[in-house]
Amino acid sequence: MNNTDTEQLKQQLKQQIVTFLNLINVKPEDIKDDEPLFGSGLGLDSIDSLELIVLLSREYGINIQDPKEGRKVLVDINTIADYIQKHRTK
Amino acid sequence: MLLYVHQSSCISPQQTFGAKDLDSLQPAVNNAFRIIEPSYEGIPTGILRRMGKAVRMGTGAALPLLRNRATPVDGIIIGTANGGMEDCIKFLNQIIEYQEGMLTPTNFVQSTTNAIASQIGLMTSNRNYNITHVQRGLAFENALLDAAMLAADHKAQSFLVGGVDEISAYNYNIDLLDGWFKQETITGNDLYSYDTPGSIAGEGCAMFLVNSHPDEAVACIKAVEIIHSSDPAWVAAALDRFLLHHLGTQQPAVFMSGEDGDSRLHAFYQACESKMNAQASVLRFKHMTGEYATVSAIAVWIACQIIDSAHIPTHMVKRSGGGRTNSVLIYNCHKEQQHSFILLEAVRP
Repeated sequence: MNNTDTEQLKQQLKQQIVTFLNLINVKPEDIKDDEPLFGSGLGLDSIDSLELIVLLSREYGINIQDPKEGRKVLVDINTIADYIQKHRTK
Repeated sequence: MLLYVHQSSCISPQQTFGAKDLDSLQPAVNNAFRIIEPSYEGIPTGILRRMGKAVRMGTGAALPLLRNRATPVDGIIIGTANGGMEDCIKFLNQIIEYQEGMLTPTNFVQSTTNAIASQIGLMTSNRNYNITHVQRGLAFENALLDAAMLAADHKAQSFLVGGVDEISAYNYNIDLLDGWFKQETITGNDLYSYDTPGSIAGEGCAMFLVNSHPDEAVACIKAVEIIHSSDPAWVAAALDRFLLHHLGTQQPAVFMSGEDGDSRLHAFYQACESKMNAQASVLRFKHMTGEYATVSAIAVWIACQIIDSAHIPTHMVKRSGGGRTNSVLIYNCHKEQQHSFILLEAVRP
């Protein structure tokens, strides 16, 4: 995947996060690639982590079974995009 | 039965929340009366974004009544026919769309009818009595009866009681196909102009802080009666008994009719209206709210405003009476089967 494809994936992912999580007053362009999604950054919580896991399953065919793996993946846009590129089945 | 209303709030298609203005009539849009959504101050953004409309308006209307209380209310009692139907259908559609695979929790959590009362309980850390009544067109009336029985048994206790329902695409389409909404374009007061079946869809929420103490109360809910019948004469006879039992030879100052422009319900409303003498003002309110199962909650809220302010918005008047506003009888009929009488009286002379 070249840099353009990666950037497109990140933009698509940000749009999906805003839509799936119904983020109020947040635009996709407001989310920085290295901004933590949970805690101090975007402020997502445990229910959002479930929503993100479902998002990855539905949109990219990725099933995260191991919670430890999930914690490493769902850090920021960069880590999720990287994981999608390596593991997507659709 | 005596239930004193001390505070109330209402989110509706009219200006009823915050700066109230019942004299100005907000029109229906696309043949539906949808609520004017406030900014929901006090609900954290992270929670607000997960709320369906019914939960959002129910919580948004309840919190201002509960926020500054020294002690928590002793019960949260909500009436809703459908709860968060929109989220319920989203969840069920997900099951089909994703072939019973992985489903998201949010729509499911929001879709249960008791999500409104439970969310109010969660947000106010209230672990007391928490219940939801779901008897379709009599859900709010049953919530009132529940609160009245509790207040009678526990004199020192206060309760939050309310009625909430939203327009969802699902129930709107089903009711439209079933002939409960008019084909004609309706904007407001013209609702009563067509002699055709059906009314106009509505949604809304009204919340009340009630107890058994008259001190500083806005109004008293003196009696509630619920009836199941498809016979207008039977309903009118029940109203006769209701009036005799609760008012003796007196008449209410105001009769608030739930008339909704549906030609199939005219016989019920006409039969009850004919029981009122010339001294009773006859009012209508469905051109402000639209028709839905728990609309009587907003009718009670409007009645409280009329009693408290001694002012009747002109657009509500079907027939002027003696000008008094110290007692209001609400009659509502839901889908030709479920009927209710709610009698309110002023507390102050």
